[in-house]
Amino acid sequence: MPFDSRRIHDVPDDLLAAIDYCYEQGWTDGLPVIPPVVDRVDATLAFEGRPPEAVIATHPATGLQLTVHAAAVNAVMAGCMPEYFPVLVAAFEAMDKPDFNFHGSTASTGGSAPLLIVSGPVADDIGMNADVNLFGPGNRANATIGRAVRLILRNVFQMIPGISDKSTQGNPGKYSFCIAERSRSNPWPLLCETQDYPPGVSSVTVFAAGGFCNVENHGGNTPEQILLSVADAMANYGCITLGQSVVILSPEHMRIVAGAGWSRSDAQRFLFTHAKRSIEGMQSVGKYRDSEYDHQHGSNAHALAEAGFVHRGMTPDDILITMGGGDAGGHSCFIPSWSRGRGSIFQHKPIGVCIDCV
Amino acid sequence: MRLYDPTSSGPERTLFRAPPLPALEGRTIGILENNKLNAVEMLHEVAALFEARHGCVVRPVYSKSNASAPAPAEVLAKAAGDVDFLITGLGD
Repeated sequence: MPFDSRRIHDVPDDLLAAIDYCYEQGWTDGLPVIPPVVDRVDATLAFEGRPPEAVIATHPATGLQLTVHAAAVNAVMAGCMPEYFPVLVAAFEAMDKPDFNFHGSTASTGGSAPLLIVSGPVADDIGMNADVNLFGPGNRANATIGRAVRLILRNVFQMIPGISDKSTQGNPGKYSFCIAERSRSNPWPLLCETQDYPPGVSSVTVFAAGGFCNVENHGGNTPEQILLSVADAMANYGCITLGQSVVILSPEHMRIVAGAGWSRSDAQRFLFTHAKRSIEGMQSVGKYRDSEYDHQHGSNAHALAEAGFVHRGMTPDDILITMGGGDAGGHSCFIPSWSRGRGSIFQHKPIGVCIDCV
Repeated sequence: MRLYDPTSSGPERTLFRAPPLPALEGRTIGILENNKLNAVEMLHEVAALFEARHGCVVRPVYSKSNASAPAPAEVLAKAAGDVDFLITGLGD
């Protein structure tokens, strides 16, 4: 039995015509989609234990709901294999947390794209890429899980470019922005191991992300040299705010940082300390606001917040750092938050298991 | 070939626009400030126009700390009891 026979579209038995039909309905991100045929959707639903009508996420501004069924339909359209589905479900459960604020981050002029970071054994189980060309094309799981997020935002939540998605510049990550955390040769605990999940449980972390900034440094050979390059990117006038950050260290850079005995916490503290601009500098570009400075330097200020400076983020924990990318190359990256403050906070959820549900 | 519809299968909408007021004359107006740069200044200017043109009475400013999220329910409930309509907007 179909989930809802009123929502079935009978189209001619012609694949190219069906792809065109999906275009005509306004169901695509501009690229061709896999027509969501019933059998393929049902195979995807088999990877979720809850009934098809179970609600995963609700749009706070319109009340539109994402059901398990609608998620599966869009996953098929994006090109997902059925075994990817638990990652997509967990991602929307994380995005549904109020502090993620997925309406704001999707509708804003700021051009945010939800970045998904998959951590733990599921990444290898479904063949995700955490290695060379990490953010680039070529891996089906990375590409299609991220794409399914966008199709759901468009088709289910009606975040339509120019209408309800008012992004000024857009963001290439709005097509797809999904990576796996590299576990191979990673000297630091994986994100899922720091998120208090039971051993062996994978997680997905979601981040309302701005654009991608490559951080090149082939000459530095100390943690300070490498991380000062990163901190400088984090503090550029174009993007410094009180918002959060994601930093992906390349294996080359990680070998220098962790090889000197630095922990993740050490790196976070160093970056928070150095990713800053003076009040005068912020004033010189017209971005200084007393209220933001007072927020960062008020009674709950972090001990590393230096008087006279605006730091990126509120605390070192606002900087998510892990390792990813290919073995060769001194190329790390920094990804700023869409939010200029606390408008969206990264969230995570376990994949394929129920830890905190009732 | 049978395709599933990928749009929301839940309720179409649960939130709707309020009906327009029949007239603005003498109404009580609230300002919902959203913490955006210049927002409160711009909103005061707009409210002053309503005062001058329609004899509206302006109430104190209501605030929400996050411009991109819906206003907290308690803020809206308070405003609903105090004013006939709210103005809000971005200043940057």
